[in-house]
Parts: sequence; structure tokens; C-alpha cells
Amino acid sequence: MRKTSARALTAAVAVTLLAAGCGGGDGGSATTADGRKVVKVALWNYDTTPEFKALIEGFEAENPKIDIQPVDILADDYADKVTTMLAGGDSTDVLTMKNVTDYARFATRGQLKSLDSEVEALDKASYSGLDPFELDGHYYAMPYRHDFWVLFYNKALIKPADADLAKLSWADYASLAKQTSTGGGTSKVYGTYLQTWRSVAQAIAAAQTGGDLLSGDYGFFKDQYELALDLQKSGAAMPFGTAKSQKVQYKTIFESGKVGMVPMGSWFASALLEDRAKGTTDIDWGVAPLPQIKGDGTKTTFGSPTAFAVNKKARNSPEAEQFVKWASGPKGAAAIAKVGVVPSYTGEEVMKAYFAVKGMPSDALAAQAMKPDSVKLEMPVSDKTSDINQILDEEHELVMSGEKSVEQGIEEMNKRVKSEVR
Amino acid sequence: MTLSDSTTGKRRRRHNTLVGWSFILPNFLGFAALTLLPVFGTLLLAFTDWNSYSTPEWIGFDNFRRMLDDGNFWTALKNTSWYAIGHIPLTLAAALGLAVLLNRKLRAVGVLRTAFFFPYITSLVAVAVVWNMLLSPELGPVNQFLKFVGIAHPPGWTTSTDWAMPALVITSVWRDMGYYMVLYLAGLQAIPGELYEAARVDGAGAWKRFWHVTLPGLRPTTFFVLVMLTVSSFKIFDLVQVMTEGGPGRSTLVLSQLIYRQGIAQGRFGYASAISLVLFLIVLAITLVQFQLQRRSER
Repeated sequence: MRKTSARALTAAVAVTLLAAGCGGGDGGSATTADGRKVVKVALWNYDTTPEFKALIEGFEAENPKIDIQPVDILADDYADKVTTMLAGGDSTDVLTMKNVTDYARFATRGQLKSLDSEVEALDKASYSGLDPFELDGHYYAMPYRHDFWVLFYNKALIKPADADLAKLSWADYASLAKQTSTGGGTSKVYGTYLQTWRSVAQAIAAAQTGGDLLSGDYGFFKDQYELALDLQKSGAAMPFGTAKSQKVQYKTIFESGKVGMVPMGSWFASALLEDRAKGTTDIDWGVAPLPQIKGDGTKTTFGSPTAFAVNKKARNSPEAEQFVKWASGPKGAAAIAKVGVVPSYTGEEVMKAYFAVKGMPSDALAAQAMKPDSVKLEMPVSDKTSDINQILDEEHELVMSGEKSVEQGIEEMNKRVKSEVR
Repeated sequence: MTLSDSTTGKRRRRHNTLVGWSFILPNFLGFAALTLLPVFGTLLLAFTDWNSYSTPEWIGFDNFRRMLDDGNFWTALKNTSWYAIGHIPLTLAAALGLAVLLNRKLRAVGVLRTAFFFPYITSLVAVAVVWNMLLSPELGPVNQFLKFVGIAHPPGWTTSTDWAMPALVITSVWRDMGYYMVLYLAGLQAIPGELYEAARVDGAGAWKRFWHVTLPGLRPTTFFVLVMLTVSSFKIFDLVQVMTEGGPGRSTLVLSQLIYRQGIAQGRFGYASAISLVLFLIVLAITLVQFQLQRRSER
């Protein structure tokens, strides 16, 4: 008797373990209990990124037969996590493409469904940010928002009388920053804050000089690096090393009122609006066009569209496509403009809704900032992009932390891109 | 012995074997499915070009040839070795020192032992983030202290290519020493007290007792600790990823990180497998040498 039960127990344990090992990973049912089709959408920081909620709620209200379920991923880990999910054959229906570099990687690996016919049907005259998603004549994602860089400023520290913010050159910006810096220790106020990303120096230089970030010839970075290092040295900007090791967030430091200007993507506006509404900050802020290298009066900035793509292994492909199409069209654009996010589709009505958002700066300067003459892509797409990205990131860090001189850094970038990328 | 006796004996033995197998079977199946098969898979993948989607293409030794030309591989190999050279002896010394100190009858020795063990069970991300703050070049308490004692230009730690690796080693020694201290404590308690008494009678001082009684008595423990430390040093990943992400520049890029970048991030699973294979062979070779030395010293 005892023997049998011991044997039964062993067998039971074995079966349970096997079942536990094999089960899981099917990700739940493709329909809800009440028969609605489930569309899972991989996205980031759902609670703090209001446009996702706006899109999902707007779409569900119009399509009661579809249930959109967010798959929430930490923003910093998003690219890695989605890469791992796709490598493991995950069936999440819609994947948000945080940037074009990741998109190119997923698309060239054949992990995304072609959306050519949906793109065909778009009203291209009022639609921006689509070009970078073209890969050999095909499209595998449709942008729904199109952020670009502007200059955020703290109205308590930067007075329009100090400088003509609509026509800042980078040299004007630097002297304004130095003029605005005061104090020391814990009461230190910085004239500007430069986020530690390489784009702050490199993408600005590329967009405004016409340089090519994939070229392997990076002499055009020189002036922007010298500007950034000079700001750091003069105490007008926080040292790179401090910002990096403390993981300083541009939002936190700007909202604390301890910095005059922050060059940053337009997405920053919606975060500021939200924090003011919540009462976590009372900062009085404005936006101005990004300062310029060339003095010819045109406003050139850089940006990066954000898009939705359909997973090739999606379980409810038609419904997923329906969502992607809706989100990038006029209705999706209206929904996100209302939460202060710049959509890809910018019909007149949509932009009116954008500036009507409570708390959004609606002065002439803001209107100018939101209407740049040209938006260059932050990082061009190619199968070499992610390798080059890595090299430029590493060398950027060395230049900004003073480990290498600007000349040495640029020389090393040129050398490494030529020898390591193939 | 009769015939029937021997058949029952055989049957019982077979029965026992089956029962034995059935006990390890669940664990073995899990191990086989999740570890053994992937390991053999890696071995094969190392000779292919594979992006996890297409069919793997057999390319012979191309991945290894590519590795010879890859500056990142050599940088990572050098960095990993530096890390090991710093981490292994320092952790060993710190763990041994702590164990000897805490093996005495002190007040609240239990509390102290627990305190030193704590870092080991603390979440690694928390450890990395807190040490990053401690070592922050401008505002961190470590550099504030160094400035206070008169060092005008304290190290830049994780922001400096020269000091990022020492910063990692310090953090990892702090984190790991508690665990190895526990192993050493167990080893110390296994050394018979009579040996110390005899040594004392012979007139041996504290240092001589440590050198001639404690250390030889701990040889098996030290060997085990050394092997474990070697293996863990060469596959270091998490701490580096959170604390420096391989930076500044490539100054703390380690092999596991390169494998991760090439495989998961860039989708070159064949090449990543080839690097893993090389890493495995390196660790295997070092461990074999250690075993050989241990055997010789036992003779």
C-alpha cells in the first residue's frame, strides 16, 4: 500500500513538472469570454504615457467587438524585451515601434507583416514621418506620432527680452545659458541641461549641417561637441559624468526649476502638461524652435516617428491591422493631439485640437516651434544602423566625459565604423 | 544461495534502480530540456549563420575567423580577464579575512555574520544603483570623503575608462564576500581544535598558527571557492550591464555582454554562440588547470 502511494506520488510529481514545463506561453485566449476579439498591443509605461490610453479607449469605443489589451513594458527595456519576445516566437498582435532603428531590425528579419495596402490608402498630403519606414518599396509599420526636437525653457529664468528665442543660433544659446547659470552646491541653477544621449550633439549636427550619420566620416560633429563641452566646463550645464552616474532625468531637473533651457523632443510637452495637472510641478514653461547652426532663417530639426506594426505571428491579424490603420488616421491623430502629443497626421483640425489642450503654450513662439521647415530623421535606417549606433554611443560617452578629445573621438568613430561595420 | 534468491536479488536491484531513476527523472527532464539540449544546440550553432528566423546556414569556421578580426571580442576578453584578476583574489582574501575574524567568540557575532551575508541576497540592481550613487564623481560620498582626507582629484570611477573596472571589482567583492565567508566559516569549524592547541604548545604565534594550521586545513574549501569564483568571474554580466553598460566607451565591455549584444540585440545567434563556445573553453581550461594543481598539491 505504502509502496503504491510512493510510486503514485513520484509519478504525480513528474507529470506536474512536465505539465508546468510545457504549459504557459500561449498567452491566453484569442477571444474574450463575451466573444470579442483580443488584440494585444506591446507598448511602454502605460500609466505614464497618456497617448496609449487615448488611442485604445478611442478605438474600443468605435469597435465594440474588439478588445485591445496593452502589454506593458518598461520604457528603458522596451527594445530588448520586444527583441527577445519576437526571437521566442511571441504572438502579441501589435508592436509599437519606438524608433526607426529597431523597426528596421525587426522588419529586415521578417518579423513584421507588410502594410503596403494600408499605406496606399493614406492621405499623404497631411501625413509626415512615413518615409523612413520604407524598406525596398515596402512598408511594415505606420507612424501615428511624429516627434521632433524643440527648445523647452523655464519662463521664470529665461525672459524673451534676454534674446530673440525664435532666432537663436547655437552661439546665442550658449551665451544665454552661461548668463542664466547661478549659485553653487545644492542651490546651483544651470543655464541648460544636455541629456546624455548622443543625439544631443550628433543628430543636431547631422540635421543642421547635412552630415550623414552612417558615413563613417564624422568631422561635422566637431562644433556641436565643442559647444557642449564648453557649456559643461563653464558650469552652464551639468557635467556629463554626474548626469550619467546619477541617472539624472531631464524631466525631474527641469520640473524642479533648476535649469533654464532643455533641448528635447516634443514628447516632453505631454509629460509636463500631465505633471502640472497632477500638481507635481508648478513650473511655467514654454517652447521655442531648436537653435540653428546656419543663419539662413530656415528651421531644421530632427525627430523620430513612432509607429505601430503588426506581428507576423499575430493571432488576430485583421483586427490588429484595423487598429493600426485607425491609430495613424485622422481619428487616432485627434485622440492623441488632445493629450498634447504631436501626431503623424497633422490636418488643420488636429493641430487646432493640439494647441487647445489646457496648459499648452499657445503663443506665437510655440506655434513657430511646432512648425519646423524640415524634420530630419534622427538616425537613418540601414542594416548597419544598430552596429554604428553602438560605436557612436560608446565614443560619444568618451568625448563627453573628457576621456578623449573631440578630435580623438571623431577619429576613433571614423576608424571603428570603417573597420568594424560590414 | 539458491537460484530463486538470486532472481529476487536481481529483481530487487532492478526495482531499486528504477525507483532511483524515477526520483531524479523530473529534475533531469527539466535539466535536459532547458540546459543540456540548448548547450548542445549552441555547440552546433557556433558553426552556422543564424538570425533565429531563417534556417541556420552551415558556415564552418567563419564565425571563429570573424572573432579573430573583431576588436570588440579582444577588448571584451581583455576586460573580462582584468575583472577576474581583480575579483578572484580580492574576494578570496576578503572572505577568508572575514571568516577568521568572525570565527571567534565575539558579542553579537551572529548579527555581524548576517550583516556581511546581506549584500549577497540583496537584489543586484539595487546594489548596482546604490554603488553608482556612492561612487558618483561629483556628489558621491566616497569622493566627498576622499576630498575631505586631502585627495584633490579623486578617481572618476564609473565615468572614467581607467577607474570603471576597479569600481566594478570593488562592488562585486563587497557583494560576494559574504557568501564565500559562510563557506570559509564552515571550513574553519571543521578544523580540529587540538591542532591549534598542539601548535600553541609548540610555541607557534597567531601568524604561524594561521599559516601552518588554518590555511592547510582550509585547502579543500579554498579550492572550491577558487573554482566557483573563476567560473562566476568569467561569466559576469548583470552587474556590468546595470552599473556601466560596458562603458565608458568599451572600457568595461565583458564577454557575456558581447554575447548578449551580438545574439539577442543584433540577431547574430551563430556568432554569439561561437563566442559562448570560446568563453566555455576558456573557463574549462582554467578549471582543469586548477584541478590539476589541486591534485598535485594533495600528493
